[in-house]
Amino acid sequence: MIATPLQAPDRLSPTFAALADPTRRAILARLSAGERSVTELAEPFEMSLPAVSKHLKVLERAGLIARGRDAQWRPCRLTGGPLKDVADWVEGYRRFWAESFDRLDDYLREMQKQTKKVRKKEKTNGRQQSGN
Amino acid sequence: MAASNPGTSPASDSADREIVATRLFDAPRELVFEAWTNLKHIPHWWGPKGFATTVHEMDVRPGGVWRLTMRGPDGRDYKNRIVFIEVAKPERLVYKHQPEPGSEPVSFQTTVTFVECGGKTEVTVRMLFPSAQARDHVVKTYGAIDGLHVGLGVRSPHGSSWRS
Repeated sequence: MIATPLQAPDRLSPTFAALADPTRRAILARLSAGERSVTELAEPFEMSLPAVSKHLKVLERAGLIARGRDAQWRPCRLTGGPLKDVADWVEGYRRFWAESFDRLDDYLREMQKQTKKVRKKEKTNGRQQSGN
Repeated sequence: MAASNPGTSPASDSADREIVATRLFDAPRELVFEAWTNLKHIPHWWGPKGFATTVHEMDVRPGGVWRLTMRGPDGRDYKNRIVFIEVAKPERLVYKHQPEPGSEPVSFQTTVTFVECGGKTEVTVRMLFPSAQARDHVVKTYGAIDGLHVGLGVRSPHGSSWRS
């Protein structure tokens, strides 16, 4: 169940790279509402179709979107798998620290108990020695 | 986030690219720092429940290497190679995870601060994300970071007020 802590799958790097660009994030946001053609996606941006196509290729390579096979009308849609990977990765760290902190809390109390015991023993030993 | 006082401290500059985890421990700062920097203590607390950690080496000084293997409940090994960048006993540690064959491919930096609070110690772990945009997108899409702040921001002296 637990996400692999301190262990990110290789495929996260292209996802992060793809998400770093604001235009590509805007494209993903628009696709969250449903399928869109390249022309539809290009509309809100002051960009040429080839420029938008370039962004779509990056998103497609990262596995964030999929495109229809029809040569004329190749609608784009979100796939979401890699985004889920990123979210799982973050969740892994959240759990990593939450549980490590719990364990550290217990261990610090144990360490302090041991220190007190040693001090008590030293005191007792000291008294015995001075009594002898 | 961190829109005020632009360019003041390095911490606020990078605040939008971080995952932050904080906990207040009922122990003196020297002891908490010791538990964090002595290889004999690490296996007692490092990693989530069910994980067994073996420390191969831990050279706590700038440039020093810290290698450990975490064995998961499924028997899988997770190798980590970490290099210390800054060591300021007992206040601050900065280290970087570095990829090596069979370990995580992502390189990232972690800053750990130890602050005295009336005999207790507040520990803050800051992990720098590859980019603010990537992190924000994850937050917006899944609300992942919200959970972290709510979950780990709880300042309980015994750490018992929140469990995942």
